[in-house]
Amino acid sequence: MRYVVAGLHAAGRSACAWLRKADPTAEIIGVDPAGGPLYSRPLISYVLSGEMPLEGMTVAGEDYWSRLGVTLVRERAVSLDAGRARLVLDSGRELPYDRLLLACGARPRKAQTGGEKAGELCYFRGKADLARILERVRPGGAAAVLGGGLVGFKLTMGLIKRGMSVTLLVTSPHPLSLNVDERAGAWVGEKLANAPNVTLKTSVSVTRLDDAGNGRLRLALDDGETLDVDLAAAGKGVVPETGWLADSGLALRYGVVTDGFLRSSDERVFAAGDLAEAPDAVSGAPGVNAVWPVAVEQGRVAACNMAGVRTPYAGSMAMNAIPVFGTHMVSVGAVNPRLTVGCDFEEIGDPGGKYGYLKLVFREGRLIGAAGLGAAPRLGELAFAVKRGLGRKQVPDWWFRNPKNAAPLAAPYGFIPRLAAR
Amino acid sequence: MLKKTVIVRPERCVGCMQCMIRCAEAHSRTKSLASAIREDILAKPRIHISVGPELKPFPNKCRHCEPAPCQEACMPWAIRSDIAEGLKIVDPARCIGCGMCAMACPYYVIRYHRAPDAPERPAVAVKCDGCYERVEAGGVPACVEACKTGALTFEEVNLYIKQSERRLAGAVYGVKA
Repeated sequence: MRYVVAGLHAAGRSACAWLRKADPTAEIIGVDPAGGPLYSRPLISYVLSGEMPLEGMTVAGEDYWSRLGVTLVRERAVSLDAGRARLVLDSGRELPYDRLLLACGARPRKAQTGGEKAGELCYFRGKADLARILERVRPGGAAAVLGGGLVGFKLTMGLIKRGMSVTLLVTSPHPLSLNVDERAGAWVGEKLANAPNVTLKTSVSVTRLDDAGNGRLRLALDDGETLDVDLAAAGKGVVPETGWLADSGLALRYGVVTDGFLRSSDERVFAAGDLAEAPDAVSGAPGVNAVWPVAVEQGRVAACNMAGVRTPYAGSMAMNAIPVFGTHMVSVGAVNPRLTVGCDFEEIGDPGGKYGYLKLVFREGRLIGAAGLGAAPRLGELAFAVKRGLGRKQVPDWWFRNPKNAAPLAAPYGFIPRLAAR
Repeated sequence: MLKKTVIVRPERCVGCMQCMIRCAEAHSRTKSLASAIREDILAKPRIHISVGPELKPFPNKCRHCEPAPCQEACMPWAIRSDIAEGLKIVDPARCIGCGMCAMACPYYVIRYHRAPDAPERPAVAVKCDGCYERVEAGGVPACVEACKTGALTFEEVNLYIKQSERRLAGAVYGVKA
């Protein structure tokens, strides 16, 4: 049996490891143009902020792939002929396979900016992007960050620590508003506005990037202002890398459409990670949750199914946690305001308060998402409660006044009404 | 023979929390309760007495799953399985305290505290390490040593099942175990 894995990051690496466990004698070929030792992509923000040395991103030695018995092909896959079961590489070589895993991930969503220097806009996805940003960092200089999501926030904090003064340009009224909610976003916005070396501009977007001389960039904003900076970087989310699969014959929507076993429309081709459109554990609707744990889990499930070990995929769940001004911002499940229209909300505590702030999202009496600030000690219980769809009636009212005790979130069914009755 | 593991019998737990205290003590720098409570960074327990079914105490600790969801979720590969066989152990030097493992853990046994091994970090993941150093030295995990009711025992799992079968036989048929 010949397995080909296209893309060797979170999902692809996990899949290779599990393919080897499931089939010790199989031929496994890994296709990825990036060379060098295996590194963990999300750690680039820690390197940018100086919390971790560059080599700290390396998570396994050079011999990782040979120990796993994976043959590496350092080329880019440029097209797929699913009918003939051939993966075409950029050298023109055709790679036949028995089972193929598509794990090429996603690419940064391009900012809609014009201007002669639009190409100078940096993104923040992998090691190459990090190197590009570090090249342009000027301690004491000015930087602009486009996008008030998680990546934009990490970029801002990292560049401040590198000694730059940063202007964070957010299209929505608050930073992190899609990741948490308006209230927590407003708190983060206030903190950002009071932080040294940060200027927060909300409800604004960049229209042009032009040359300002001396290697600087001039940003034209849609409110008529201009901004001269040494570095402009954007964090506008990611889009699945599916352009090269357009002629493959596979069913594509936003990403590669997969079934409950992460199999694509071709029975020999599977998909995992940021390009796989798989069922969401909370809503049941197909979607892409582009986070690390989901990619690794999907890699495992896809590998088991590729090797003939029937493994249903339970569904992906969005989850994020980042340090924010001495506390933690967490989100689990459905919290995006666009996805929670018509839901009931419970807001507990205060973003700057003793117990932090927690927002619970209920749909038809079931917990479908939670987001908050400073909720780290009860993170596990919270995620578990979302995963199993905790009923609103199962949470006693006293808990909303003192959410520090996480037992009501974690306790088994049937327990809470009895406790509440006491 | 399989490796010995900590076996939890919640029906025997009385919620005395001695296991928590001894766990924290065993993970302190000085390994003595009297001095551990005066350390700069207080050692924290990795076993927790939570409320279980029937409102009874439930000693909750890491099950060292395989595959371990926490290990899959760990971005810097800080949860290692190469330190001690069969155990998933957090390497505080690599942990970035992001919180992903706690969200992935189906048993909610991962907490975040400052750690003596990584004092520069505000918080790192803290969870059961199976007291691998004590076990390698021929001892038993601290929580097991502390448990006076038999709710926590350190046994080889097949042997434990066999003993349970004998007990059941004794109870049902009056056979002497």
